Formats: sequence, C-alpha cells, structure tokens
Amino acid sequence: MSAPLLETRNLMIRFGGVIAANDVSLKIEAGRNLAIIGPNGAGKTTFLNICTGWIKPKSGQVLFEGEDITPLPPRKIVRRGVARAFQIPQLFTEHTALENLLISAAAREGMRHPLRDLSRVPEREEMMHLLEMVNCADVAHRTVDELSEGQRKLIDIAVALALRPRLLLMDEPTSGVASSQKHKIMEILIRALAEARVTSVFVEHDMGIVGDYADEVAVWNAGNVQLRGTPTEILEHPDVIRDVIGEVA
Amino acid sequence: MNLTIFLLALFDGIAYAALVFIVALGLTLIFGVMRILNVAHGSLYAIGAYATVALTGFFLSLGLAPALSFPLMLVAAILVGILLGGPIEWLLLRRIYDKPEVLQLLVTFAVFMILEDVQRLVWGTQPYFEARALQALGNVTVFGVTYTVYQLILLPAVALVLLLGLRFFLRRTILGKLITATTEDREAAQSIGIDADKVFLLTFIVGAALGGLGGALASPTTSILPGMGADMIVLSFAVVATAGLGQIEGAALTALMIGLGRSFAVYVWPEVAVLVPYLIMVLVLLVRPEGLFGSPAARKI
Repeated sequence: MSAPLLETRNLMIRFGGVIAANDVSLKIEAGRNLAIIGPNGAGKTTFLNICTGWIKPKSGQVLFEGEDITPLPPRKIVRRGVARAFQIPQLFTEHTALENLLISAAAREGMRHPLRDLSRVPEREEMMHLLEMVNCADVAHRTVDELSEGQRKLIDIAVALALRPRLLLMDEPTSGVASSQKHKIMEILIRALAEARVTSVFVEHDMGIVGDYADEVAVWNAGNVQLRGTPTEILEHPDVIRDVIGEVA
Repeated sequence: MNLTIFLLALFDGIAYAALVFIVALGLTLIFGVMRILNVAHGSLYAIGAYATVALTGFFLSLGLAPALSFPLMLVAAILVGILLGGPIEWLLLRRIYDKPEVLQLLVTFAVFMILEDVQRLVWGTQPYFEARALQALGNVTVFGVTYTVYQLILLPAVALVLLLGLRFFLRRTILGKLITATTEDREAAQSIGIDADKVFLLTFIVGAALGGLGGALASPTTSILPGMGADMIVLSFAVVATAGLGQIEGAALTALMIGLGRSFAVYVWPEVAVLVPYLIMVLVLLVRPEGLFGSPAARKI
C-alpha cells in the first residue's frame, strides 16, 4: 500500500499555557479535499503552520509522501510539493497578477536562468492558463493593489498552483469576501484544484461551504482531531452541532 | 565667471558626481532591499581603492601594459564584494535584520571602525598614488579646456551603464524580480520557495562590490590615504538621503546636484565648498523629509 499524501505523527506543541497541538496524528489521502473546522484557538492554523514548516513541533513528525519533512525550512517544503495559502493573500502588491505568477514559477525553477527577461520566460503560457483557470485572465496585467479581495484570493491560489504542488493548505480561502461571493469563489477554486490534480486541506468556518465542497471533514478541539468523517456525518453529529455550529451560529 | 572656469567647474562636478553616484548606488541598493544603512560601505570604497593600487602596482611592475589597470579595477571590486561583503552579511547582518535600526547602525559602524584599522595595519598611513590608468587614456580638449578622458568620459559612462544596468536588472530579469519580491514581503517570498537568505547575501555582495568599484575607479584620481572611506560614506549618504533612501534614479540626479554644487562652490565661494553637499541635503530634507524622490511610506526598490 502506498504512503498517504501527508501524514502527521504525534505532533505536540504548546504556546505558553495553551496546547496548540496535542498528539495530532492524521493521514490525508490524495484526491480527498479535507475541511478542518473547530472553535477559535483549537489549533487549526497551527496545524497548517506545522505542516508547512513555519512552526516546528516540540515533538512528532510530518511525512509527505512517506518522507519526513519536519526539519525542513518552509521554502524546501514548498519545493517538495506542499503549498500554502494564507488567510490574507500573500501577494506582491506592487507587481501585476501575471508577474506574481511568473515570480512563483521562477522560484519553482530555482533561478536556473537568473538574468532572463521575466516577461519572456517559457512559463508565460502556463501562467496565463492558470489565470484562466481561476477566471482572472482579464486582470493579468493589473497590479494586485488594484484588484478586489475576491480576485486576490483567486490569484493567491493561482500563485500557489504555479509552484506545481500536490497538496495545498488553505487558511479560510473565502474569509474577507462578501458572503454572496463565497460560493462562487469556492466553485472556481475547487474546479481549478481538480484540474491541476491538487489535493487541498482548508480551514473553514462557513458550514455551508464545508458541506458543499469538502470530501471529508476533521473537527479540531483543544489541539487535536476530535472527530473525522464525511460532511454529512460530521455536520449532523450532535457534538458538532453543539460545540461548533452552535458557536458559529 | 568666464567660460573656462565654468567648464572646469562643470567637468569637475560631473566627474565627481559619477564617482559618488557609483558608491551611493551600492549604498541605496543595500538599503532598498535589506533596510540596512551600511556605514561600512565607506570602508569597502577605501579598500577597493587600496586593493586596486596594490593589484596594479604588482602587475604593472611585471612590465604589463597600463591598460591592464581597468580589468584589475573590476577584479578589485569583485574581491571586495565577495571577500568582505559576503562575510559581513553572512556573519553579522543576517543576525540583526529584525533588530532595532539603532543596533543595525551601530553594528555596521563597528565594522567600519574595524576595517579602518585594518587598512592602517595593511597599508600604513602614508598616501599612495597610482595614476597610470588616468594617464593611459590621455586628455581631451573641449572649448579650450583640457581635461582627462578618464574623468570626463569614462567615469560618467561607467556610472550611466551601471544605472541603466541595475534598473534593467531589477525591473526585468528573473533574479531582479525575485529580489524586489523578497524586498516587498520576505515571508511571502519564502512561502513560494524563494531562498530569502541567498537573495539578501547576493544583494549585499553586489552592493559591496559597487562600493569597491567606486574606490577602484577613484584610485587614479586621488591620493589613497586613511580617512578617505569616512569622507565618502558621509558624502554618499548625503546623496542617498537627498534622493530618498532606496531611490536609484533619484540618487543619480542628486549626485549630479551635489557634485556640481560642490565644484562650482570651489570656484565661486571656496570657503564653503566642503559644506555645500550638506547644505543641499539639509535644505532638501527640511522641505521634503522623505527625500526628493522618496515617498512618505518609504517605498522600497
């Protein structure tokens, strides 16, 4: 049997008195989009940060495709194929949308041709296609600070896809976007991820989105996975209705 | 003021501005990318000059042509960038990027002081002269005024090539874009896999080499002696601050302003000639504290 796409083993970390990861052991299979839900302070973002190397666990391991990536710095983990999108899009706001993607592609290619003109790199076509995939081809040449929050979210995902990851970890992909737009953005996003064959893990507070777009749901509480199952199983579970959905509503 | 004196002042100003600009370019590049004001840049300038004199002295005494001085200047600049700039960033600055600016300033000032003494230890306190590169290119006469080709044509040409080259490099090339992206947001850069440490190291080496190149190019036109680094860091800082920190094109214009201001003062009002660059800086900063071309939000390169 092949190794899971991502596996964590007994992750532990505490910040002061708060246990942010309490013996987290989790397997993520390729092709199954996993939503992470749970109350604030349950350790959801910490989990993403540990998987991408931004926070090193006190103990435990992160394995990507069977290899231990725990000690690697974030940039090396990205190179292995684990990309990350933050709650606030981390774009270079003084550059255009296309340039943001080209910079990402250049980072992926590891500066093999450092003095080549960026506007003439061979990855240009590929990057334009990524912008089309997220419905943003029309704003390719606008600088990011001119774009709407929704467009930034989508371009942020395209920037991550430009790295050709196999796993994308997203922190509230639709936060900061008007609720009428949330479903539209998720629709585009999940479709783009499927086309690029990228598995996603996303933290989400909106249960409507979780129900519509996740293949699996993990419920976080006090630094660990309390429950895991299909969206239907989880969203109808009495504990979840009491602890998570109750709080959100 | 007659035409001869006007032209002399003009040529002096241009030649001087070109040198100061080359040094200021390194200073403003390092500040623009790394947000560190590198006081040790003055020492890199001085050591670039000393290294050029040492290299040309050695190779030309073997009977090689004086024209060899020019590639040796480049060699000196690259050596300064790699052998001094590299370790300074790698061993010291890397540890203090997130520390208060006062501390960063003190650390680079300490490096400056150490390198000043290193120069005295290695080269002593007696001045050196090495003008064979200057003589190799001969003179040119413009409207009756005879001036060296080296100062009137070569120095401004090198300054212009560096300005356009750096502009193109930062705006168009892949590495340039990766540098500006890292400047804009270090964390975002790392999250797409850019090695920010390597980008900073490379930037510092390039900046340091520009300081060294300034010294190398200055060496045939001046006597090389202790204290030359201090003069140059103060002056190039005046250029960089007047333009706005991190402003490359702006530094070219303020270098010209300051260079011309100083050289005309030498002929018109010699008592204040030394003061003129700083008077210009003070006047500009009183009106525009962010510099002539800087924006209040401290836009980076």
